Amino acid sequence: MKKVLIVDDEEDMVWSLQKTLGGGGLDIDVLTARSGEEALEVLKEIPVDLIVTDIRMPGISGLDLLVEVRKNYPDTAVIVMTAYPHPQFRKEAAEKGSIRFVEKPFDINYLRDVVSEALNGRQDGFRGTVAGIELTDIIQITCLSRTTSALRVRTSEREGIIFFDSGNIVHALCDGLEGEDAFYEILSFRGGTIESIKGAESPAVTIERNWESLLMEGLRRIDEAGRDAAAGEVPVPETATKEETMEDIKATLKEFTDIDGVTAACLVGRDGFVLDSVAPEGMDTEMVGAIASTGLGSSESMGKQLGKGGLNMCMVEYEGGSIFLAPVSQEAFLVVVAEDRANLGMIRFATKKHRDVLSLSTVM
Amino acid sequence: MQAATILDIAHISFLDMINDMINTVGTTGARGTLVRNSMESAKKIEEADFASFDDYLRAIEEGTNPITRIEGKAVHVGDHVFGLPDCPFAPSIRNYTEMFGGLPPGYSELTEDSNRPNSAADRLRVAYGACVSPFCSVHQPMRSAIGDRIKIGGRKIQIYQLGCKSGSGVKGLADRWIKETGISRETVEKVLDDNMCCYYLRIVD
Repeated sequence: MKKVLIVDDEEDMVWSLQKTLGGGGLDIDVLTARSGEEALEVLKEIPVDLIVTDIRMPGISGLDLLVEVRKNYPDTAVIVMTAYPHPQFRKEAAEKGSIRFVEKPFDINYLRDVVSEALNGRQDGFRGTVAGIELTDIIQITCLSRTTSALRVRTSEREGIIFFDSGNIVHALCDGLEGEDAFYEILSFRGGTIESIKGAESPAVTIERNWESLLMEGLRRIDEAGRDAAAGEVPVPETATKEETMEDIKATLKEFTDIDGVTAACLVGRDGFVLDSVAPEGMDTEMVGAIASTGLGSSESMGKQLGKGGLNMCMVEYEGGSIFLAPVSQEAFLVVVAEDRANLGMIRFATKKHRDVLSLSTVM
Repeated sequence: MQAATILDIAHISFLDMINDMINTVGTTGARGTLVRNSMESAKKIEEADFASFDDYLRAIEEGTNPITRIEGKAVHVGDHVFGLPDCPFAPSIRNYTEMFGGLPPGYSELTEDSNRPNSAADRLRVAYGACVSPFCSVHQPMRSAIGDRIKIGGRKIQIYQLGCKSGSGVKGLADRWIKETGISRETVEKVLDDNMCCYYLRIVD
């Protein structure tokens, strides 16, 4: 049986909620606490699935309790309620990881629905730690799974949160920034921990751009910042052998062909000689590389001639699909062959994402 | 009255075509096209298997050696090191420069690009400093690719480009291949004193 802890210093409210939630057809065990301190004592003894807490209480406030819960009981969801629904409270509660913000007075049936939804939303799925995964991967998964949730991202010094509504990125907060600026700032974090808060409702909608476009823009900004910092130098891991790097390249190219509708991905030297490829049997990749190098070279020359600067990517659309050409370094470029059903945004996103890995092969 | 020089239009247009490729697909793309073209041309040369190294050398003297047929007679200076007295592109270069006073623009960049590490150079054991003109990107890969189609006593051979000399006398040495073959730099320098091209023939075990 799921356990719900009601925390409020108003005795009437506690009594009312305990009675309504406990007897309202929900299969839950309702616990109560009259203060934040008391709530923490309960939590030490009993694992709780959901806390419904008031904000204004003597001693530890509901928001402070929320911080403690997120820190020490990350599996426990928190709904914050208040009779003083100031936007700042709403924002703070969201930043600190509450999944809902409920204004008093409320219809008790509404709260029952919110509690039920919160508990049901937390029933499924694995729990644990996954290391080595990139934030962009988690964001992609969250968007593709169309969930409503929040991702809290922490480094030793910084913290940010991204809100998803049915798979759309709708809001982000970080270091006083909000909206797209906050999202890009979070994306620039290097390493850290990611906490997924399932069912978290966004306190606002500040982002309207689609998630693919947001990720691409974010990665473009990271690329740009990286280029400025490294002044064109490409870091080479000292421990990686050429063979290991080429294995990475193969795996990376495979990520492109795993996109629905992508039939081949080739890493090609600027001179048109294929460095590596993942392609269907029978495809003459040497010829693809040779032709693609003239296509890429022509596109670059055209940009140069017309004063458009360096080439980022070019796509050629045919009746039966598209071909993407994208430089990954001074020495090589990527060729992606796709059928017309392929999600072009995914290809563009993957290109941005894997550009650094692919560029390594050409400096070995 | 002195007779006017008759231009070889095939030579002229080839040199200008390289320039056009540089302008339209970029320097590296142009180099790749030249190398690929050379490799394709090499495939048209018949494969050969010589009974011995002496037979191989005799075929050079007789002009029947597949490599000789595309570049003229090379001189074996010993230890499988060869010198080529005449650059096969010399007539083209002379013809063009006599008429236009110099080679087309972009050639020095293409030469520089040819000497940068690249997969084709690794595969064919050419460049890495041994290119002194864009024509080296045609000649050296073609020789190596033809070499890949030759056997001596049933064993494959590999050609290593050790150095080259420009018409103005500037020598370009491929330290990477010099090191790999164990031939001394001094030997290569000496061969290039009397020749335009220096290469090593390895019989694969």
